[in-house]
Amino acid sequence: MHFYLFDGTAQGFYTAAFLAYADEQAFLACENTQIGLNDMTMPVTNDKDKAERVLKKLREYDRAAEAEIDAVLRSHFSDRAQRAFLYLRLLVRRRGPVRRMHAEPAVEGALDAVRKVRGETHNMTGFLRFTETAGGVMYAPCSPDNDIIEYLFPHFKARFGAQPFVIHDLRREKACLYNGKDAALLPLGKTELVLSDDEETFKNLWRDYYAAVNIPERRRLRQMRGYMPVRYWKFLPEKQP
Amino acid sequence: MIDADRLKILTNGAKYDVSCSSSGSGRRNAGGLGNAAPAGICHSFTPDGRCISLLKILLSNDCIYHCRYCVNRADSDIPRASATAEEICELTIAFYKRNYIEGLFLSSAVHVSPDRTMEEMVRAVKLLRTVYRFHGYIHLKGIPHADPALVREGAKYADRMSYNIELPSEKSLKLLAPQKTKQSLLLPMRELTAFRREGAERKKGHILPAGQTTQLIVGASPEPDGKILHLAQSLYDRVGLKRVYYSGYVPVVHDGLLPEKPAGALREHRLYQADWLLRFYGFTADELLSESENLAAEYDPKCAWALKNMHLFPVEINRCPAELLLRVPGIGMRGAKRILEARRYAVLRYEDLLRMRIVMKRAKHFITCDGKFFGAEKPARIRRSLVLQGAAENAEQLSLFSSPETALTSLTGEL
Ligand code: SF4
Repeated sequence: MHFYLFDGTAQGFYTAAFLAYADEQAFLACENTQIGLNDMTMPVTNDKDKAERVLKKLREYDRAAEAEIDAVLRSHFSDRAQRAFLYLRLLVRRRGPVRRMHAEPAVEGALDAVRKVRGETHNMTGFLRFTETAGGVMYAPCSPDNDIIEYLFPHFKARFGAQPFVIHDLRREKACLYNGKDAALLPLGKTELVLSDDEETFKNLWRDYYAAVNIPERRRLRQMRGYMPVRYWKFLPEKQP
Repeated sequence: MIDADRLKILTNGAKYDVSCSSSGSGRRNAGGLGNAAPAGICHSFTPDGRCISLLKILLSNDCIYHCRYCVNRADSDIPRASATAEEICELTIAFYKRNYIEGLFLSSAVHVSPDRTMEEMVRAVKLLRTVYRFHGYIHLKGIPHADPALVREGAKYADRMSYNIELPSEKSLKLLAPQKTKQSLLLPMRELTAFRREGAERKKGHILPAGQTTQLIVGASPEPDGKILHLAQSLYDRVGLKRVYYSGYVPVVHDGLLPEKPAGALREHRLYQADWLLRFYGFTADELLSESENLAAEYDPKCAWALKNMHLFPVEINRCPAELLLRVPGIGMRGAKRILEARRYAVLRYEDLLRMRIVMKRAKHFITCDGKFFGAEKPARIRRSLVLQGAAENAEQLSLFSSPETALTSLTGEL
């Protein structure tokens, strides 16, 4: 196999896709991927021009595919870049949308990743929890499977109006910040929080509510865990002992 | 601020209402806090497997009525509490800001009088919208016998309203909820439907964008599933409801007129499945069962229907019309859509369907793929195989799709 290792950026991906387009042995991956003894590494140097040419074709053939590819590249699959590439290549070769060709493995591979990413984004719009800091900023830590805080951001921006907030991806050490007017995406490691005076009270009221609204005569724990996977619990006040 | 004790009491009295959906409204943030997501969002799940989407709370649990199945009834020996409109607003905002909830589901026992109760509930939602400038989801419960003008006033601020019919026949209603009549529930529903239509015609819009719902208790009274589903169908078709919820009876009070045992989860599950078929799959209640029948416990209602209509099957997956494809057991909305899309590009074979993640264990008995049949030949074998699968599923404490309330499944409704 021929490994096209790129830097993880969109430009890197599209440059690699340009270089690998005609190579039937191509495998696209991010730089720190382990490769085997018999594999070859192909150098990828970011090239704005090459990336633009691929993107132009892509947009010409299918306006919705760029967003899908962005989602695939954010998915947790280790072969995400390859999935995105195979989808892109099929689309360009056929000169039009391919997302309905469900019997094509390249299509299913990519769209499966899109579904996972969009599914987790939807779930996290519910499971994300904000705490109120003394300064009045709402702060939400999380650790999603997929790289999605940029997808979550617009949802909360629309809701919060002028309220400042932060969504912090602890796993990827980055955060979306919003001050009520402008937004920024920044690298962010551990943070110290000073909570507002009411924070504990409302958190406790929520925990009381959660306990009271349950109907103990019905126990469907499997269902609960199916809908709300345990790995999300550590950020949910209602699931803290 | 509301204290923990009253919060617990007022939540306890509200929790048997199963509707918690926050879907169907696209209300925008018009300066202030919040908006509504059309698909609905679940924020948590409780150990009973239900979704928490809204702060479901009573304004008061102190009731003058005597519905025999209800914990809040006048002669029930429980602690009583009420909250003020301001306390409800403050709690809603605090929970919403922390992303605990999508909004508020405000209900109440009939406190002092229907009008007094409705008035205070309307005051709360109006306050929430106009003073607290909250644009998240609001579900407002209607109080039977309340002044229609008050009800209409409430409808201006809510995304959804509901009157719970609870009992599927007038006879049971009379017996178990003597102060409520069929008319006191159906009349305001009809009026709200008319009010909504008026709003839409005069382009005022936004009157109950998420429509109306109701709830039926299953297993507190003797009506069979057929009766319940025929009622549901007429509520959809004639009263214009968005959604009927089914709540398996849980005995919280002891009363000689009520069963000692809760209704099984399976019965509730089958009713929801049949309800999907009514709403999204083009079935009528008549096709599924007569008023005096119950749904089969062994397999889902679509399987039951298909087994009664074997002369229609097998259908060829590459050619059969969409309506019929949706009627194939095991093929859900999403599966049917994919098949319809994919078959325009290629002739689909059995392997293709597997690759497309179409679940074949039921479907294979009812379809051919490019002329080839992969199911069992004899109807008796098909039946046995479906029974076995049904049993496996039930043993798994029902499939994950049994709860009505996750946004994704409520969009797709797999069957
Ligand atoms: S009206 Fe009936 S169901 Fe409603 S709270 Fe009072 S007793 Fe319970």
